[in-house]
Order: sequence, then C-alpha cells, then structure tokens
Amino acid sequence: MTDNTFDKDSKSVGINHPGDLLNEDPLAWLPRMANKLYTMWLMWTYPFASFGKGTWAHYSSHVARSAAPHISIGKNVAIARDVRLDVRGTNGNGSPLFIVEEGCGLQRRGVYSARNRIHLMRNVICAHSVLVMDHSGEVGDDPGARKQETVGGSIRIEEECWIGFGTVIICEQGELVIGRHSVVGANSVVRRSIPPYSVVAGDPARIVKQYDFSKGKWVLGCVRPPAGATTAL
Amino acid sequence: MLRSVRVTSASLDDHEGFFSRVLTKLNSLWLAATYPFAGVGRSLSAHYASEISRTLAPHIRLGNHVEIGRHTWFHTWSIPTIEDKNALKIIVEDGSRIGPRCTISAANSIHLEREVVLGSDILVMDHAHAYEDINIPIKDQGATPGGRIRIGEGCRIGQGAAILCSNKGELVLGRNCIVAPGAVVARSFPPNSVLSGNPARIVQSPGVKQAGGDEKSGERSEVDLANIEVTLHDR
Repeated sequence: MTDNTFDKDSKSVGINHPGDLLNEDPLAWLPRMANKLYTMWLMWTYPFASFGKGTWAHYSSHVARSAAPHISIGKNVAIARDVRLDVRGTNGNGSPLFIVEEGCGLQRRGVYSARNRIHLMRNVICAHSVLVMDHSGEVGDDPGARKQETVGGSIRIEEECWIGFGTVIICEQGELVIGRHSVVGANSVVRRSIPPYSVVAGDPARIVKQYDFSKGKWVLGCVRPPAGATTAL
Repeated sequence: MLRSVRVTSASLDDHEGFFSRVLTKLNSLWLAATYPFAGVGRSLSAHYASEISRTLAPHIRLGNHVEIGRHTWFHTWSIPTIEDKNALKIIVEDGSRIGPRCTISAANSIHLEREVVLGSDILVMDHAHAYEDINIPIKDQGATPGGRIRIGEGCRIGQGAAILCSNKGELVLGRNCIVAPGAVVARSFPPNSVLSGNPARIVQSPGVKQAGGDEKSGERSEVDLANIEVTLHDR
C-alpha cells in the first residue's frame, strides 16, 4: 500500500535510485537532518525497553517519554510522519506493552494504542492511517456516565503481514492474532483473529483469499477455518 | 436537508494563519521555479508541508490553479521490470484541488482531470505490494505491475477514501462521480455515479428514480458535496 522502499536513504522523499540523492532539493535535507537528530535523541535520551540499530523515526512521530519504558523497538524499524505510539497503563511484570520487531514499517499517521499488549512481529508493514488498539471505549448502560476504557485484550500481528491503508484493528477481549503473511485490505475493520496466509477485506473484515497448500496457490474464498479465534463477535 | 457549503478559497477566511500562507506561497514559487516538472501551470498552490520530491518531478505534470494540501505526498517509482525513466506518471489538470494528507503513489499513471476535488486522507495508488510468494516477506517482494488510474473531470472524493488499481488494466472514474468518505474504489465506474462502501458500490446514479418514486439525486449530491468541502478545511 505504501512505498516498498524501507532502506535508509529513501525515507520521506521517495528516492528511487541512490544516485538521485545528489539531485534532491537542498531544502529536503533540512527535514532529513531533523529526522536523524530526532532519532538520535530518542535513542539516547528516552528510556526505551529496547531501541534497535538502524531504526528511523520521523521528527513528527509521537512517543511520550513516560511511555518509552513500555515500548520495545527492534532493528531497522521505520516510524514515519505523525505516527503515534501510545501506551495506556502498565503491566505488573514490567514486560513491554508495545513490541515492534525487526524490519517493521509503521507508515504515516498510524495510531497504536496499547493497554495490554500489542506485538508486531518481524517484517510487518502497516500502511498509512492505520489504527491498532487493544482496548476500546466502554459502552455503559448509563448514557450520561463518563466513559471508561475497557480492559481489552491483546493483539499479535505475525511475521510478514501487510496491514492496508486506513485499517482499524480493535481487540475488545481475549487475543486477536493476525496470522503470518496475511494481507488486510484498505479501510477494513478487524475485530477477530485472522488465520495465516489469508487476504481479508471489508467491514467487518472477511476472508477474500487464502493460500491453499495442497494446490500451492492462492484461491478465492476460505480454505481453512480461522484457528485460534478466541474473541467473540 | 441542504447544508451550507462554505467557500473554501475565500481569502478572508482565517482558517490558515498568515505565516503559513506566506510559506505556502514561497514554497509554491520555489517548486514552480526550481523543480524540473514535466509541466507546471499558473497559480500553483502547494502547501509548504506537502512533499514532492525534486527527483520525481520529471514524472509529474501540474495544470493551472492546482492546490496541494498539507502533508500530501506525491510519490512515483519505477518497477524495475518496466524501467521507463522520465515517463509521465502523475498528471493533475487545471483547477484540481488535493486536500491535506493525501497520498498519490504512481508506478504507471495516475491522471486527475480538470476540477477534481480530493478531500483529505485519500490514497490513490495504481499498484500494490505483491504478496503471492509465501516464502518471501511481503515487504521484500516489490510491487505488482499495477494498472492506470484516471479520475474524470469534476469528481469529488471524500475523506479517507482509497482508489486502488492493483492489477493490470485501467481504472476509470467517470466524470462528476462522487465518492463517499471511507469508500474503497477498486474498479471503474460510469460517469455521475455516487459511490460508497467497502468495496464501493453505486448508491445512486443521478437521474434514476429511487424506490420511493422521488427524484432525490440532486439533493443527495449536494449533501455529499458539502461533506467533502468540509473535509478540505483543515489543510
């Protein structure tokens, strides 16, 4: 859904070829330097649970310093413009609530709000304007009462997934797992687990395509039932 | 039923600060003067925080009176198999307005005809990630060859819509189409249709009588227009 280039030199200006850097607008170097400085600032002064090498954060991305101890970021992660990493609350045993593993790309304007646990495994692509929340607002009986957040569940997005533009992933209870190498289409709403090797789309997200191992190709429709779907709904 | 449509280009409307407007003007002059666009018309207005890369400018042609909103990103790239350096990939014709935070990502061709209005947060993309090989991370698989996208004259696209053409062929949105906010358009549609949903369906073709027997099309369109105009405001 977004640019496929996550290599270091192509950030934020969309360079196709390394040689193009020399032809780039001199003004484009200013934000580039700002990104570099901001990334170093994050790496050295924020108390992250971990912050891998080669990780790059846009200067307008937002992480609160108080949230940093609960966030673990792996190597070569790209955090683009206006991305917000939000941690609400803590968990007792001190393990991080928001884990981004090696090679993930968090594209522009994504909002990630963890109350229990959000785990992005290796090489996940989250496209623009994604919302990932492992809790939600409570719907009470009393319409006038101040709304609390629900306790929520946990979200795990497994290796190599591609989460499309504008997708909303919300887990209200239990564990929501998006299986390995799955694709979530643009503007989908995901509220329950998705089996591995699937393409889903729509609101609510339904399986459009799955990889059929017996035939060795992608086929339309549902081949395997959603395994490990523990969430209601 | 009709909402008031605010005039977005009124210069007295102070939704954008003075300094930001000056910066936008300077940025537009800078772009028009120094970037090697395939073509750039009169009165370009590109927000100072819009992102157009100079190295990609030869692939882009902008008409007269084009407006480009804050954080809008023009991106073109060549799929290695179809290497065509300096091919024209993004064409924005006269009077088109592109709202804030849009992403226009072209591998082949994206053509916005005259007077197209894109609201905010819109994705227009004529290719997609390839995901078919399950042994390689999707991230490393590159893109599908993709197709071409043409958005007809006078189309209005609502906030958060996605216009995607991931397979070969051409996606044509006929003239004066209205796309509701949040719709996902993945195939061609005839002129004058009102589209909504994921995947997008025609909710109304103007001139077609509704079940109730009322001619509602004009009214409905006005409301949708109003919604789209409002989304343009936070540029």
